[in-house]
Amino acid sequence: MAETAAQEKPPARASSRRDFLSILTMAGAAVISAAIIWPMLDALNPDAKSAARAYPIVNVADIPPNGGKTVDWNGVPVIIRRLTHKQMDEARAVAQEQLPDPASFMARVNHGYPDYVVVVGLNTGTACALEGNDPSAPRGPFGGWVSPCDGSQYDALGRLRAGPAPRNLAIPPYHFINAGQIQLGRGA
Amino acid sequence: MTKALQDSSIGAWAVQRMPCLGAACTTLFAPTRAPEGAYLDLLPGLTAVTLALLTVSGLVLAVYYNPWHAFASIGFIRRGVHQGWLVQAYHATGTSMIFGLIYLTLLRAMLTRAYRAPGELVWLLGGKLYIILLLLGWLGFTLTGSLAGHVSLVVATSAAQALTSAPGAVARWIFGGPAGPGTLMRLEVLHVVLGGGAIIVLGLYGLARRAVRPPVEAGRGVAFFPYYAAQYGVALAVFGLIFTLFACFAPHAGQPALSAVPAAALASPAYVALPWYLAPLGAVADAVPGLGGGIIAVVAALAVLLALPWLDRSNGGRKGWLYGALIWLLALDVVGLGLARPGWLADLLVFWFFFHFLVLTPVVTAMEAP
Repeated sequence: MAETAAQEKPPARASSRRDFLSILTMAGAAVISAAIIWPMLDALNPDAKSAARAYPIVNVADIPPNGGKTVDWNGVPVIIRRLTHKQMDEARAVAQEQLPDPASFMARVNHGYPDYVVVVGLNTGTACALEGNDPSAPRGPFGGWVSPCDGSQYDALGRLRAGPAPRNLAIPPYHFINAGQIQLGRGA
Repeated sequence: MTKALQDSSIGAWAVQRMPCLGAACTTLFAPTRAPEGAYLDLLPGLTAVTLALLTVSGLVLAVYYNPWHAFASIGFIRRGVHQGWLVQAYHATGTSMIFGLIYLTLLRAMLTRAYRAPGELVWLLGGKLYIILLLLGWLGFTLTGSLAGHVSLVVATSAAQALTSAPGAVARWIFGGPAGPGTLMRLEVLHVVLGGGAIIVLGLYGLARRAVRPPVEAGRGVAFFPYYAAQYGVALAVFGLIFTLFACFAPHAGQPALSAVPAAALASPAYVALPWYLAPLGAVADAVPGLGGGIIAVVAALAVLLALPWLDRSNGGRKGWLYGALIWLLALDVVGLGLARPGWLADLLVFWFFFHFLVLTPVVTAMEAP
């Protein structure tokens, strides 16, 4: 290289040629290293089993109107209830400004399928599982869920109506795949 | 390059606080390399690259590997993990490749007689690396939870349980009883720890090699970059091509057929089948009757290999053609050991291995030396 450099007339050109080679080599090395390392990084993403657990698909077509279903989602009970037309009309008629945690009807349900209510089945006050998902269980004066621990009462949309709890029931991220199936974990 | 580092303000700032940076740059970029080295001089470098790949892919595999369901968990890695098939192929093929490299390294050191003074330490560290890789390879082989690995593990744990006093206690600490998932969990830990040991020994090997390398003639040396890197690039490209061909088209090359079968307690094959890189020493162990005999035979085979610098009586004399031919014959002998099933042929090959080191090497080298 020393001899070659001596023969080159303008030293600036020799240096730029060397720079070009250096940059080419480094760029090639970077691309190859990235190609080798990428599979190993990708392998650290959640595997198929974990992904299936994180984004479960729940069949909701078998829920009758006024009925409910409880599913486990990453250790959290998610309750799904199907409303009757009468319940939907009643819920729409509520003056939301007077609620402890105001929320409109459409803010609580999916726009395409407003007869399904999907909420996290844990009381927002004293943390404990709610009662009332099954039609035969006590649902309280607002036709939703009641907390057996602190007596908080929710309506059929999961909005807080009375009790020491501070907030409406949380809505997990979910979306409808079709009219009969929802997927938890991923929002619409 | 060191000058460039010190000229830039960030470089000067860093070198002032970390003087070792300057030393590292001097080591890497000082003109200490002849522009055209032998490509086989790069074998340890390729070994280091492969060891790094094995370490990283092994850590990824360890995230998902479950010794209690060893065989099933590797199946899960290949099917259920993103790019898991590729990471597993990296690890399996990387193992074969690193053994190919270490066998080539040892053969080349024998042919060039680089093991003679002042290279004894390089030879010893190379041999030590080979021994650690053998242990690592065997542990990894048992960790697959295949029938072949399980049978080999049962033989080892049975031998360990037969040992008494101090060796028996150490063996029980390592294996924790008969072969089972609990044993595999211990061996997984040992596999990871020994992997770190292999990195350290390879580093020491590199240092020892650098210390005995003859200095470059004045004016002939070039800096690390770009010649040296270019040569490395060519070597890496060829190596990578071979690696990819194996990983994609022959991922199970050199593995016994029973590696594809899950371990079963009541299945006992006719003989212990080993992967190609363990097979020569397995044949040495099989040639001597009894469990203790096998252990002694393996230790003796490795000991004569390590003792080569002192078995060579040439005292730095010239290289003779007969000794070179005998080295090639030894290479064929080791290949034959890897292929032969237990029997008279394997016994003969084992005999030749020891005969070569203990009789032929001292006699022929002393005869050929002036």
